[in-house]
This record gives sequence, structure tokens and C-alpha cells, in this order.
Amino acid sequence: MTNVAGMDLATQLSALLPYLVLAAGGLLVMLVDAFVKSLRKEHLSMLSLLVLLGVAVANFTGSMSLSDRTLLGGMVVNDQYSWFFNMLFVAVALLTVTFASGLYDRDGHYRAEFYPLVLFATLGMMLLVAATDLMTLFLALETMSLSVYVLVAGNRGSLRSSEAGFKYLIMGAFASAFLLMGMALLYGETGGTSYAMIGDTIAGMNSASLLLKLATGLILIGFGFKIAMVPFHMWTPDVYEGAPCYVTGFMATGVKAAAVAALLRFAWLTLPVLADVWFPVLMVLAVVTMTYGNLVALSQNSIKRMLAYSSIAHAGYLLMGVLAYLQTGRDIGVATRAEEVGVAAGGAVLFYLVGYALMNLGAFGIVTYLSKDRKHEADTIDGYAGLAQKRPVAAASLAVFLFSLAGIPPTVGFVGKFYIFDAVVKADLLPLAIWGVVNSLLSVYYYLRVIMTMYMKPAEDDSYSGGSWETVFAAGVLALMVLMLGVMPGTLSQLARNTFKFMAY
Amino acid sequence: MTFVTDHILTWVTFVPLAGALLIWLAARSDASARFMALGVAVVDLILSLHLVRHFNVTQATDQFVEHVAWLAGGRISYSLGLDGVSLWLVILTTVLGPLVILSTWTAITHRVREAMGFLLFLQAAMIGTFLARDMLLFYIFWEAMLIPMYFLIGIWGGKRRIYASVKFFIYTMVGSVFMLVAILYMSVQAGSMALADFMLLDLGAEQQTWLFIAFALAFAIKVPLFPFHTWLPDAHVEAPTAGSVILAGILLKMGTYGLLRFAIPLFPTATLALGPWLAWLAVIGIIYGALVAMVQKDVKKLVAYSSVSHLGFVVLGLFSLTTTGAVGGVYQMLAHGLTTGALFLLVGVIYERRHTREIADFGGLAHQMPAFATVFMFVTLGSIGLPGLCGFTGEFMILFGSFGSTLLPHAKLLVVLASTGVVLGAIYMLWMYQRVFLGRLSNEANRGLPDLNLREWAVLLPIMILIVVLGVKPAPLVDRMTPSVERLLQPLHAEMARLQADDPQPMPLVTDLARLTEEER
Repeated sequence: MTNVAGMDLATQLSALLPYLVLAAGGLLVMLVDAFVKSLRKEHLSMLSLLVLLGVAVANFTGSMSLSDRTLLGGMVVNDQYSWFFNMLFVAVALLTVTFASGLYDRDGHYRAEFYPLVLFATLGMMLLVAATDLMTLFLALETMSLSVYVLVAGNRGSLRSSEAGFKYLIMGAFASAFLLMGMALLYGETGGTSYAMIGDTIAGMNSASLLLKLATGLILIGFGFKIAMVPFHMWTPDVYEGAPCYVTGFMATGVKAAAVAALLRFAWLTLPVLADVWFPVLMVLAVVTMTYGNLVALSQNSIKRMLAYSSIAHAGYLLMGVLAYLQTGRDIGVATRAEEVGVAAGGAVLFYLVGYALMNLGAFGIVTYLSKDRKHEADTIDGYAGLAQKRPVAAASLAVFLFSLAGIPPTVGFVGKFYIFDAVVKADLLPLAIWGVVNSLLSVYYYLRVIMTMYMKPAEDDSYSGGSWETVFAAGVLALMVLMLGVMPGTLSQLARNTFKFMAY
Repeated sequence: MTFVTDHILTWVTFVPLAGALLIWLAARSDASARFMALGVAVVDLILSLHLVRHFNVTQATDQFVEHVAWLAGGRISYSLGLDGVSLWLVILTTVLGPLVILSTWTAITHRVREAMGFLLFLQAAMIGTFLARDMLLFYIFWEAMLIPMYFLIGIWGGKRRIYASVKFFIYTMVGSVFMLVAILYMSVQAGSMALADFMLLDLGAEQQTWLFIAFALAFAIKVPLFPFHTWLPDAHVEAPTAGSVILAGILLKMGTYGLLRFAIPLFPTATLALGPWLAWLAVIGIIYGALVAMVQKDVKKLVAYSSVSHLGFVVLGLFSLTTTGAVGGVYQMLAHGLTTGALFLLVGVIYERRHTREIADFGGLAHQMPAFATVFMFVTLGSIGLPGLCGFTGEFMILFGSFGSTLLPHAKLLVVLASTGVVLGAIYMLWMYQRVFLGRLSNEANRGLPDLNLREWAVLLPIMILIVVLGVKPAPLVDRMTPSVERLLQPLHAEMARLQADDPQPMPLVTDLARLTEEER
């Protein structure tokens, strides 16, 4: 990591433009809501969408350079890795705002605070991935988390939503405490908070000290909470079920992707320690995570809870990719082809995160679409009966998302799993790959159950019937993308591999 | 036209898929969906006939090859090819395609557009499976097949259709996910997903054993080989007629095709070691399937179990590891596709009229529906292997080839046991025929049933003609299959030669002993 201290302010600011636009946009939306009384609330969503588009444009035009550019004295980095995830987070936020607005239209009750909170949460995610200093990492994490705590509790008047928000807040505070303790220890051991310094110190060590092991372990726990890794997943089902469905989609895709991306950067930073000390532990946790998620998901009647457990299982698949990467840091045969295996593993995780965001967000989009208003969400699976005839596009889209989540070709979910398993086999972790496919087999059952209900059961009187066209249009586009990336994943997978390669090698 | 003929395999594969999308998006009424589907299937049939006309009889390797780098810098490719084995299975698919669609004309009356789309989608996936020469591409087609079949059983099936469709889906996936791991493992070794590169791998005996098990499990479930057959009766009984015809006619052949295309040539050492076990399972399946078929009360279930029995013959033929036996196996796949497909169509004809398939509900039907009874008899005779009809050729070659097999221990015993299956097959089919068609018209409800109509004739007549053609003139088919089958068995012979060279004084194999005794004589 080259510290370009001499870079002038203008260059730095232009590189930081996406973050600045987003922060300013978030504030703007908030102020507009507070002071422009004549504005109709619907316009807030338009304004938020414009802000996000602006961020996308700023990100797209601003960071075409592939070399990493350390900014603000090493606090954040503007590299292809952050560029890649910025794009993903902006897309996730765009869709979330679209879905939410559709529901608000039907509901009639606009929650104006929703928009700035989503924007701030997105800013937190972006910074989380760009962070190259423990301080930035923590600030970004808290920016994201605090916004999401409020979002989760956004269904005012709903006891469940409040409970979920409270629960998430408490658990999140625990996670932050673990993370902070780990950071403190890491600082004590390496004498710095910047990744550059930490990396140099670790590289100079012969073996990991106890303190370093403890520090990385605590930080892993902190991340484990955010990505819903067993045994730090307990909050997930309740929070996912209690939160408004569009927020759940936002959390399951955006927050998880941000945490995994930050974890992957952290793993790269502390590869020797993690690989040697924590690999076996993470291995066990990955196996337990996916198995637990899939087994419990089998018996759910609430689609949000089912998707919550499925997201725990998917965290397990993602951890498999992380493990394949960690394997390159261990002193075994894989180390000789570290770059090949590492790029395959990291690229697979990045690809999977994008694919997972598309399919999972799409699924939550359909749930949002079918919800009558924020008090009556389309949550019980039985209510999906006969959807294929009532709302063929919505049903077909949801079927595509669920087949994709189950990893059936030709969908992006299959390709993503394929890349992950491929990397795992390359990393000489064949038993893990076998366990992974057994798990995706388990998962088929509960995803099929929803498809079966939609397509093979007759509609009941109280079956869900759907709402605004924007939502189903957006979900339909997502379904097409899921299929397209299932057939033509080449460009994205190449981008993902390059992105990881430039960060790690 | 060169645009089509240069990429003929792509066209044959994807025309049905395009048709499916067209129907889903554009068909406005049930009738237009039906006609569009029929039109697409007929176009596909015509396209596939191009393959027969321009097939080079003497060439053993793949023809009409298409190869385009697809993913991972060409490690994964879009690679299609057609040899003598794939050729006839593709033709079987495209021939049954329009007939199946025609058979649904009055049988499927709700959600017609969806049904037609799924049928065509399924056809595309099946053809792709037979043509894929890249392992990932193969796997994608193989798995994609599940989706339309799942919907066909689950939406248009019988009372327990949901249970049956989920069982079908999960069961089939159990096998294939392990195959995926095996494919991944091999691709890491081979540095590519191309089947040709997989063939070049030099795998140790232990590796081969595990990989063979992973592949064979996937295929054995699909065949289905005893004891992996339990999904089949449920799927067949609950599936609509069209689904059953495709299931029995083509889908089951995916399993035997996979054994011949992948399991045997890729893992010769393991095939020599484990093949006999599969042959034994096949023979158990032959007898078990026949015995269970005999006691069925439901005609459709009887035909379903007869498939277990017939497919056992195919597997036995393949694992005789002789050219004759394997060619017989492929031939039997085609024959079974025709006869069992026709039987399911006939069961569908009567089910549409009476909404029952219980043998006890019928009797003396020949008085009421003479044409139907005649066609049924004809197909039954084809199925039980009457000389001159298609079933005979395949079974004979299988038994003949297996009898002389030098690589299958206890080959003669296996053949003797399998032969009892032929007899049992005749018994349960003819007994069922007798109870349904002969005697007095015992059930008044059957009086006044209309005989075959024009559309039903149009569905059945082509199959009957093919049953005769395959019975009396096997040479054109066998000639085209044989070089390719020999090529697929080639690695095995190389492996035998290597074993002999390693150990100049080998333990005499059972069949070597047989040859010795012949010389002594």
C-alpha cells in the first residue's frame, strides 16, 4: 500500500466524490423533508433516487484507475475493490428505495426518515469496504449500524418491529464491543491503527503472539455478528421477521455484503494469523452455519423467517469462499499456487455477493410487492397459493429467485455456488465442497416449497395479490439479470477476480 | 441455410427453448399455444433429420462439432458434438416431441400456455444433455431438465402430484450434486471442463473409484437402477400422460447415456472393478421390476415398473463391456423409448375417457374399442420383444453380448437370470392385456366408449411404424452406433491391455477359461 502523502486536496476530494455526494445527499433529503413543507412526500423518494444515481455516476467516472489510491492519510483507500462494492451498494439502495416507495404509496403513510437513513447506511457500507484504518472501519460500521437499527424499527406501532430494532441494537452493541476490544488489542500489539502499519508488523513477525490471536479472534466475532455466522446469528430470524420487508432485503444483501467485504479485506491484512490460528475454527463455524441455517429453514412458515435462515446458510457458503482464500496462507501445498487459488476464492466471494444481492433483494422485492400495507405484509408462505395465475410475472420472478437461491442452473445462484465450490476444491478442501453441495441439496426443499405453493396450489380468498407496478417491474428486471448472469457470467466474474486480485496481490 | 447448417446442433437444441419463450410471451389463447408448440416441435424434428442425412457413418468421433470459449478464459466452453450414440437419442427426442404435444391436445385443458412452454423447455434441455461435450454445460442441461419436469408433474399431475414432484426433484438432485463435486475435482486436475481433456486424465485406481461412484450414483438414480428406483413409480403415476411419456421415453435414458458416455470411458479401472456390481443390480432390477409389475392393480404403475425391468437390460448390456452388448443397450434405449412411450400414451387415451387406470375397472374392452385394443396388442408385443419388432433386437444383442463378455464375471449366470426377466415381461404384459381387453365387457361404464380418434391415430401410428422399422431393419441404426460405442469402450480395452502388459501371466479371467475350454474342444 503506497501512501501518497503528497496528493493535493483537490485530487483527494475528487476521489472521495461518491462519498461526499452521498453524505451531502442524505443531509439534503433530511433538510428538504424538514423545511420544504410544500413538497409532497413522494418526491423524497425521487430525490433519494437522484442522489443515488449521482453517487453511481461519481463512482463510475471517478475511480476508473485500477491502482489503489490511499486517501486522507491512510484512512480510506480508493481502489477497485471499493469501487466494485460502491456500485453494488448503490444498486442495493436504489432497489430498496424503489420497493419501499411502492409500499408507502399503498399504505399512504410516508416514513420520511426512511430515505436519509438508507442513504446514511449506504454511506456506512461504502466506507466500511474502503476503510484502511481501524478507526475508519469502526466509524463506518457504526454509521451503517445505527442507521439500520432505526430502519429495523421503522414500522412504528408494530410491536414486532420495535422488538426487532431493540434486539438488533443490543446485539449490535455487543458486536461493536467485541470489535472494539479486538481493535484495541490489535493496536496494542502492532502499534498502529492503519492497515499499512498492521500489515507490516504482522509480516515482520515470526509467529503470531497470543495477543494478536486474541485480537483477530475478537474482530472475527464482531464481523460474525454482522454476517449472521453461527453462533452469533441469534438475532437474525427475529430481526429479519420484525423489520419491514424492504429493510430486511436491504440488511440481508447490503449489510451482509459490506461485512463480508470488510472481513475479506481484513482477512487479507491478517492472512498469516487468520490462516494459521483461526482457520480450523472458521472451518467448523462455516460448516455449522450453513447446516444450521438450512436445517432450521426447512420448517418455517413465514417467508421472511425462511429467508432469514437461508441468509444464515448463505453466510456459510460465503465463509467457504473465505476459507478457500485463507487456505493460501497456510504453510501447505496450496501456498505454492497461492495467487491462483486466492484469486479464484476471492473472485468467487465477490461474484457470489453480487449474485446473492440480486436474487435475495428480488425475493424481498416480491414480498414487498405482495404486501397490502406495512401492517399486513405478505409473510405466510400459504398466502402465496395460486400466485402463478393471479400474478404470473411476480410468481415467475420469485420462482427464478428461489431457484437461484437453491443453486439450480441456469441462474446466477448456480454459477456463484459453482465458483465457490470450484475455489474450495482448488484449495484442497474437498470435504468442505462435499458438505457444501449436501447443504445446497437440503436448501432445495424449502425453496421448492414456496414455488410449489405458488404454482401448484389453487388460490385462496386470502391469498396475496400485489400492488405497484414499479416494484414488480424492478423485480422482473432483477429476475432477468439473475438468468442472464446465469448464462453469461463471464464479464462479472472476470471483474470480480480482477478486483480481488488488485487488492490482494 | 448455411447459417443454420453450420450451427445445426445449436439450432436443434435451442429452437424449442426459443419456442417456449415465444409461447410464454406471445401466445394469446390456448389453441394458439398448442399450434405454436406443435409447429416448433415439428420444425425441430425437421432440423434434426438434417443430422441423420449428413451423418458420416464411418466416423466414430463427434460430428457437427461446435466449440466456443465461454467462461474462465476458455477453461469452460460451449461445446456441442454428436456421435452415433447421441444421434439416435436426439432423434428419439425430436420424434417424440411433436407426438407428446399432440397427445396433450385434449388431456391438458388448464394453464395450456405454461404446459406447452414447459414441454418445449424440457425438450431443449434434454437435447442439450445429449449433445454437451463440456462437463459444466452438460451439468447445466442435466439440472435444468428438473425444472420443467417438476412443474409438469406438480401442476398437471394426479392427486399426489406435489409429493411426487418434490420427491422427483430432490431424489434426482441427490445424485447430481455429488457428480458436480466429482466434475469440479476432475476439472481442477484437467485444467479445463472439456470432456476431451477429462478423457486424457491419468487417474489412480482409488480416485477413479470415488469419482466413478459419484458419477454412477447420479446416473443410477436417473435410470433408475434398483435400489434407487423408488421415485419412479410415484413420478409416473402422478405425472400427466405427456410427462410420463417424456419421463420413460427420454429422461430415463439420460442415466444410461451418462453411464456409457462418462462413467465407463472416464474411469476404466473403476469400471472393471465396480461394473459387475452394477450389472448385478441391473439383473436384480430386471427381475424385481418384473415381479412388482406383475402384481400392480394400476396399468400405469405396471408400465412404470416394467421400465425398471427394461432399463435393467440396458445397464446389463452396457456393463457387459462388449461392443455387441453396449450397442444392444443403446438400441434397447430407443426401443424402450418407443414402446413404453406408446404404452403411456395408450394408458393416457383410456384414462382420458374413463378417468381410471385400475385394471379391475376394465375387461373385455376389445369389444368396445377394437382399434385401441389392436394398437395396444401391437405395442405390447413390441415391448415384450417379439422378433420382428423393436424390443427383440435390443434385448437379443444385450443377452448375446453379455453371454460372451470377457470382462464380466459370472456373465452366463447373469444372462440366465436376465432371461427370466424376458419371460416375466411377457407374462405381466399379456396377463394385464388379457384382464383389460379380453373376455366379456364386464363393466357397464365402459360401454359406449369411443374408439381411437384421428388425432390419437396420428400420435400412435408414427410410433407403430418406427416399432416395426426398428424391428426389421436395425442395420442403419446399428451401423451408425457401433463405431461410436467402440470408441467409448476403447479406454477400457486400453486399460485391459495395460493390465496384461503389467502382468504377463494374469489370473485367467472367467471368460478366458471359457475360451480355453472351447479350444480344447
